[in-house]
Amino acid sequence: MEELKKGGIFTISDMSNVRINIGEVVEEEEEWEPMGPHPMPRIATLRDWDFKILNRYKPFYAPVCDMCCLCTYGKCDLTGNKKGACGIRMDAQQARIVLLACLVGCSAHCGHGRHLLHDMINKFGRDVPIDFGPEVDIEAPLTRLVCGIKPKTIGDYDRVFSYIEEQIVQLADALHTGQEGSYMDFESKALHMGMLDSLNKEAADVIQIACYKLPSGFPGDGPDVPLVDVGIGTINTNNAVIIVIGHNVPPAADIGVYLTENGLDDKVELGGICCTSIDTTRVYHKAKIVSALGRQLRVLRAGIADVVVTDEQCIRADVLELCQRVHSPMIATNDKAMHGLVDRTDDDPDKIVDDLVSGRVPGVIILEPDQVGEVAVRTALEMDKKRRSLKFILSDDEFNYYVNDCILCGGCTLACPNGLPIGEANKSAAAGNIKPLADLFDICVGCGRCEQVCKKHIPIVDVMTKAAYPQLKEEKGRMRIGRGPIWDSEIRKVGAPLVLGTIPGIIAPIGCGNYPNGTEDAWLIVKEFAERNYIVTLTGCMAIDCALWKDKDGKTIYETHHGGFGGGGVLNIGSCVSNAHIHDAAIKVASIFAGRPLRGNYEEIADYILSRVGACGVAWGAMSQKAASIATGFNRLGVPAVVGPHGVKYRRAFMSRPDIKEDWKLIDASDGSDVYVEPGPQDLLVACETVEEALPMMAKLCFRPSDTDRGRSIKLTHYIDLSQKYLSTYPPDWHLFVRVASDLPLATRDVLLKKLEDEQDWKIDWKKKKIEAGPIRGYNPSFNPTNLERLIRGKK
Amino acid sequence: MGIEIPFDVANIGGPEAGDVAPPEVIGSYISSASRPLLVVGSELLRDGFFLDIAIGIGKKGIPLAATGHSIKGFVEKGYTENVYYYNLHELTNCLRDPNWNGLDGTGNYDFVIFYGIIYYYASQMLSCLKNFATDPLMRTVSIDRYYHPNARMSFTNIMPRMEDEYKEMLNKLVESIKG
Repeated sequence: MEELKKGGIFTISDMSNVRINIGEVVEEEEEWEPMGPHPMPRIATLRDWDFKILNRYKPFYAPVCDMCCLCTYGKCDLTGNKKGACGIRMDAQQARIVLLACLVGCSAHCGHGRHLLHDMINKFGRDVPIDFGPEVDIEAPLTRLVCGIKPKTIGDYDRVFSYIEEQIVQLADALHTGQEGSYMDFESKALHMGMLDSLNKEAADVIQIACYKLPSGFPGDGPDVPLVDVGIGTINTNNAVIIVIGHNVPPAADIGVYLTENGLDDKVELGGICCTSIDTTRVYHKAKIVSALGRQLRVLRAGIADVVVTDEQCIRADVLELCQRVHSPMIATNDKAMHGLVDRTDDDPDKIVDDLVSGRVPGVIILEPDQVGEVAVRTALEMDKKRRSLKFILSDDEFNYYVNDCILCGGCTLACPNGLPIGEANKSAAAGNIKPLADLFDICVGCGRCEQVCKKHIPIVDVMTKAAYPQLKEEKGRMRIGRGPIWDSEIRKVGAPLVLGTIPGIIAPIGCGNYPNGTEDAWLIVKEFAERNYIVTLTGCMAIDCALWKDKDGKTIYETHHGGFGGGGVLNIGSCVSNAHIHDAAIKVASIFAGRPLRGNYEEIADYILSRVGACGVAWGAMSQKAASIATGFNRLGVPAVVGPHGVKYRRAFMSRPDIKEDWKLIDASDGSDVYVEPGPQDLLVACETVEEALPMMAKLCFRPSDTDRGRSIKLTHYIDLSQKYLSTYPPDWHLFVRVASDLPLATRDVLLKKLEDEQDWKIDWKKKKIEAGPIRGYNPSFNPTNLERLIRGKK
Repeated sequence: MGIEIPFDVANIGGPEAGDVAPPEVIGSYISSASRPLLVVGSELLRDGFFLDIAIGIGKKGIPLAATGHSIKGFVEKGYTENVYYYNLHELTNCLRDPNWNGLDGTGNYDFVIFYGIIYYYASQMLSCLKNFATDPLMRTVSIDRYYHPNARMSFTNIMPRMEDEYKEMLNKLVESIKG
């Protein structure tokens, strides 16, 4: 061998035309656990599990569009479940669109993760160890579970992403005309896509935790991570301001490094919108979270940014136009969102800064993250001087002119996703009462559709911002930075209480800000469950939005509750990709507490979680395709999710029918006997109309067949109490969850027994305070519920 | 009857869009049902008048499914006879099944009236029924202040400033339903 080149390429002496390329050199893997039945599952591998889920939680479709226009046979009218020219029925077409949405969402996270891996390998090399400290031994539960890989360095994620990418292509193939025709199989594929997406998210967060040393399992991490500022009012506009938007943190991280290295961290504010802001605070603790996604348009229009830096995902498509309107130069840093700008990567920073500051170009593209910091900071410092005298909030005269100019045509209301009465609020403002208009600010989802249809060309977004400006200046919340993984030691402490039901459940508020009634709902959900000793794990926009609200003592929910994975904890797990750690927590309960093998063993773990781990996601403002794939990934793992009313536009839900007895037949793995159980969880994906309805619904979706009687009584207490508090009535189905008298809360046991006797005709032995007849089943403490026959340990 | 744009202007499903109709016509249509159900939602709670309209329809012998947190209003008014709490998504999941036993255990409904429900949520549930509750055909109407193209028959769009006119329409509707 004469020469060994990088990448396993070498040449042989005197054989110059021969080149042998050795691919990846695979090291013998440490035998850390026997391989399970389903490593790196393909489309059909877990189909049986999917069909078990889908037969109980039958797909429900509510089409947004009654037609198909994907091929030139069409448009085809599918109304009434008719078939199109290709033979596809409406139900299959809806499932196909769901798969498409999950494809888009999964691809976004996969693209994000792969991009991050490239950047990190470029910067740090392949051998960055995945060491999350003494508190986290199971560093990547989903990677172990799905791939059968125990990753040691970030380079190991090459294999993981190659697997995901191959599966995504195969699933995308199934969308083509003339492929899949069964809605059940489309849904199985969507569930597969959702599982891949959960793996994407874990991979992306593991890589960034390892490379940037984000909080994980070291002292000072986990429950003890610091608080950061949240809210528009926390930005010091006397300094130069950089606003980062998106999800992929390396460019923002480089800005933080540049500020620190150049002693500028007290002269330049680094704030963010959406998940990049959450991840920026994990890297650079002086960063601030300006807002969640829902306020992007309004933050940009308020003109507080001297420079806007975008990376990928959740960036408004008109971001460049918005920046130009307020003279904020824009730096796009990701090839997935270039907005028509010129690529200036590797150009002289002096020239780029000069072009941006002079206004010769409205923005630039810089695709190397390590080149962004200098340009962004220097430009911000220069632009701050130039922009200081500019005002972008309407003057009083302008405001009065516009509100008086409104002709109450109602066009804005028809264009508004929430149907807000903007015209009426304008009229109140014109009459001197700006409160109705100011109150709309928080309910507004910030889309700007109203302005496009206004016959009088009123800048409605600006008018609303002006009305709410006094409150916005005071919007100053606090939230914990994203803590990343749940510690193994925490799982050891809470595994039993969670499975037995004495901690009533995990509530996981996640996702976007397309709320029906503003951000206060996010806070109420967190507060209500944290005060009831549930574990509340947040990620993404809901983690931000709930920090905008305070109690009577001026404290946010993060300040009044601890950040540990235990009853009453309020945990900011991190950005969207961090919500894989919520999957991971459930997986670790199965692994650490119950000793179930993880490696390549997805089906068994999902079966365990579905029957035993009382967890419920809530995506109250779910908007994106990513949210669709995230929820679908949770569902395949056996975790139900509640969405807000806008969530019905995802077209598909998974709901069971408690009145169909056969759907609720489980197996007792101890002896193989069939057991008919109560509907726990009743749904895997369901929408609620209002937060008042959602609160008891979430409590209901935490029931599991494995609950002990003590655990069941605690869960019933909250289900009944939340229903009485918010619906003024007992839930109509509470009796379904009663197996024995000891399932009933002690304080109200007699009252509830009487109701069962009177309203459900149950037989009660009042002397023994015992239920003699009525329940779906009795309570068997040794019941070992499963949906999988292969897990039966003995014969009846 | 006439043509209207959907309340959420882009909410155009396809070739089949419901008719806009005045209250007397919708009332007469409801009266033709053999087993109607009134489905009400949380917007009912914004004014006691709207709750009274639902109760007025209930008193004509039509059972009520109270979705969202609208049940609270009925409990506080002391009207709970023939009123059942149900989540709208779960209810629609049942309504699409001809074999469902209904709220009273005696069978599914042939006619559903949507009232007081957040526009986009109601629209999607009406879409489900339009597309999948077809054998036997389930008839649907909306008596909200929105034009609902996914209902077979609907009121027109009524802006908030026209609240008094809307209330008058609802009064006429109740009068025109034969008990």
